[in-house]
Amino acid sequence: MLTKRIEQLKDFFFDRHHHSVRRTPEELGLDRLCDRFAADKVPAQMRGAILFEEMTKAEKPVIFDGELIVATRTITRVPSYFTEAEWEEIKSKHYLHENGFLSNISANYKDALAEGLEARKQRFEARKASADAEGKLFLESAVRSIAALQGLIAKYEACAREMGDSALAEVLASIRTEGAKGFREALQLLRFIHFGLWESGCYHNTLGRFDQYMYPYYKKDVESGRISKDEAWELLLSFFLACNKDSDLYPGMQQGDNGQSLVLGGRDEKGNTLFNELSAMCLEASYDLNLIDPKINLRVDRNTPLEIYKLGARLTKRGLGFPQYDNDDVVVPGLIRKGYSPEDANDYVVAACWEFIIPGKAMDIVNIGALSFAGLVSKSVDRLGQYKDFESYYASVDADIKEECKAIAAQYKNLYIAPAPLYSVFMDGTLERARDITLGAKYNNFGIHGTGIATAADSLAAIEKYVFDEKSVSVKDLQAALDANFEGWDELWHKLRFEAPKMGNDDDYADKLAQRLLASFDEGLAPLRNERGGCFRAGTGTAMYYIFHATCLKATPDGRKAGEVIPANYSPSMYTKHKGPVSVLKSFSKGDLARTINGGPLTIELDDTIFRNEENLEKLAMLIRSYVQLGGHQLQLNTLNKETLFDAKAHPEKHRNLIVRVWGWSGYFVELDECYQDHIINRIKFAV
Amino acid sequence: MSKGTIFSIEEFAINDGPGIRTTVFLKGCPLRCAWCHNPEGLSPKPQIFHAMDGDEICGREVEAKDLAADLLKNREFFEMNGGGVTFTGGEPTMQADFLCEVMDLLPGVHKAIETSGYCKPEVFKKILDRLDLVLFDIKHTDPEQHRRWTGVDNAPILANLQTLKLSGKPFVIRVPLIPGVNDSLENMEATRDLVKDAPGLQRLELLRYHKTAGAKYPKVDMEYSPAFDTDAEPAVHDIFGNIKLLIL
Ligand code: SF4
Repeated sequence: MLTKRIEQLKDFFFDRHHHSVRRTPEELGLDRLCDRFAADKVPAQMRGAILFEEMTKAEKPVIFDGELIVATRTITRVPSYFTEAEWEEIKSKHYLHENGFLSNISANYKDALAEGLEARKQRFEARKASADAEGKLFLESAVRSIAALQGLIAKYEACAREMGDSALAEVLASIRTEGAKGFREALQLLRFIHFGLWESGCYHNTLGRFDQYMYPYYKKDVESGRISKDEAWELLLSFFLACNKDSDLYPGMQQGDNGQSLVLGGRDEKGNTLFNELSAMCLEASYDLNLIDPKINLRVDRNTPLEIYKLGARLTKRGLGFPQYDNDDVVVPGLIRKGYSPEDANDYVVAACWEFIIPGKAMDIVNIGALSFAGLVSKSVDRLGQYKDFESYYASVDADIKEECKAIAAQYKNLYIAPAPLYSVFMDGTLERARDITLGAKYNNFGIHGTGIATAADSLAAIEKYVFDEKSVSVKDLQAALDANFEGWDELWHKLRFEAPKMGNDDDYADKLAQRLLASFDEGLAPLRNERGGCFRAGTGTAMYYIFHATCLKATPDGRKAGEVIPANYSPSMYTKHKGPVSVLKSFSKGDLARTINGGPLTIELDDTIFRNEENLEKLAMLIRSYVQLGGHQLQLNTLNKETLFDAKAHPEKHRNLIVRVWGWSGYFVELDECYQDHIINRIKFAV
Repeated sequence: MSKGTIFSIEEFAINDGPGIRTTVFLKGCPLRCAWCHNPEGLSPKPQIFHAMDGDEICGREVEAKDLAADLLKNREFFEMNGGGVTFTGGEPTMQADFLCEVMDLLPGVHKAIETSGYCKPEVFKKILDRLDLVLFDIKHTDPEQHRRWTGVDNAPILANLQTLKLSGKPFVIRVPLIPGVNDSLENMEATRDLVKDAPGLQRLELLRYHKTAGAKYPKVDMEYSPAFDTDAEPAVHDIFGNIKLLIL
């Protein structure tokens, strides 16, 4: 249950009262810092630190009534530390990922909380003596960044004293220099570090294995009686609530796509289950708060007790679109297979959406590109006449996929990521290497999404069955029908769309083709290396590509017409009524999903009537467990009510609260672009 | 090998027995309950159904062995989750031979039926022998009222209920709660007294009437005009004592 304090704060933030303290960088004269940097020829590495210094100096400490965990953004935007001309220059020489700043990795919060800021600053300072010139510059930028963060904490401390909140002031005084002494200190220090990452211009800042690195502080405090369980509960709620205060300021594709994901449960290298009391509290806190941040992933495996799934299913009932379930039995071996050490693989967390990354150790770019299965299969239809049997035809598709893998991989030359001195402070090995994290880490792998897998597999299945096996559809007719977007080809269209074998019906005819496509993808990427020596990871996610790739896709042999969307992530096509969730789970857990370790969940929509009683919740928990036991890699459930969605589209003002899952994240429905709204409404038509 | 007519197979049917189950809908019913929400299940024959995207044929003939093979595909899933298969309708006992044949092809699978109990005693026994669980409807205890609202006499139903009770098989009683039809205190007490001492009784479910029951009638060119007040809320009486109760 929410406490009174938390309810009041939640209302306060929900009514956006805290927006009144916000100022723009323009008002503060911070927007053109880049001109000064350019004129003075300040090295990029130092710009990161100076910008962060200026931002923290301009921040106004605000502590709202009743807040236990503080730090609120008062500056609406983090300005770029390069001028437009400089960016142009960089772009002409380099490959930039998204906006060029660091994103979507996970810090080593565990060590940072234990060591504290002062000790870390001193270690970075001391390392200067033996570093080269570039190293010295980096270390100086890191030291200045830590000092800036400490300065911000000091301001909050002074503010707390002025307000007479000595308990808070003590916490702040302690975390300004020392490692966390207890649960409240750990949460408050984490809040400042996380806040700092955002304010330094990095984005999609994840929270990692929160229940693991926080648990020792919780346990110690509660066992020693330093705080009661009720107090710990309220602190946890405070932290979760704090994650929602500034999230509208965080950049992403759409509001809500901010990457504040955290991971619960899972196991260690020896196979011990790590789900603890705090993990359960997190699920409950998220349920009670009913807010989109932090987004929760639950690591499970074949031995996870049904009780834990039930806790997850209960949260699903909220309709926030999480938890997302990640199967350790598939993910861990999959990561090891791609060269991650067993210890690191067991410590995996989830990036902004679904990609598996290693906290502290990976500078992976998990969403660097995407391969369009549907697009490749669509193109191959033009030359279908050349092949005498399906096998020779598939061999050509396989070759295309492998060519495309090479072409995609070749694009990422001369990667440039704007230096991120503060983030570097919280990543492993940056001190030893005396180099910014953006230059590389222990793992430097790139992830490639694979989009439209069901569209592609269904298309191949139709081709195999009707063109090659039954010979009931001629190549010419198929091509003509697709060129005409099925105009005048009603009968063929009906057959392809409604009668052909489909992935999701537990029909090997289509399912085995999906497995072959994924295998081709994995094999295509396997020999490739990026310029940092890292590998490429195949995935089943789509991110926004499911919209991009669909718009330029003509009619496909699965009976999909031009302009119709392709399914998001690892999901069945939306046009056929499938046999039901059991068949869908079976189809989508076949094959070796460890090969597609960049992730991308099977998404199932549930009508909210399922949650009417406790018994049904248990059945839902069983359903989720079955997917894991069958070897599925990742699962995400949406709870939707069709009437609500229609009404929300018509009367957005009445549904400001309505939260839906979009691709790898949840957002407010009414704030989404219409194409996303329509896609979600479309999905529910085929809900369980 | 016999054929039967079914009109739907639903996976992950959450209200038809324990665990994860698949429910098979057999077409045809001898009753005509005024509140029936599955009008497409009444006629034993395939028929036109006006669906959202155009007309469809509702109902198809299947061979017992094909249906069984289809159901067995998910056997592992049922076993993992304490589930199985439930047959409903319409009234599944109407296609008794087919039903028994399918069930005989599902050895080791947990089998349940949802029935009005309206069939010949020997038919009921034959089916009962093959079942692990029975979801048994009691629509009204009074013969006259029963005839008025469902079109048939309840004597065979009560006789089969007696057989069920004596068999010791686990069963669930389901009562559709229809406002002004069967929700009187008197009828509810009579319903309770019919089953309260049966050792096989697992629980009693009250299924509250909902207006959406009439939604599908136009789709099969039928009219929904029950003679009870569809806007009224059915009464729920607190009289069930130790019987496990579920109100849906
Ligand atoms: S017994 Fe069931 S299917 Fe038959 S009419 Fe009554 S409610 Fe409808």
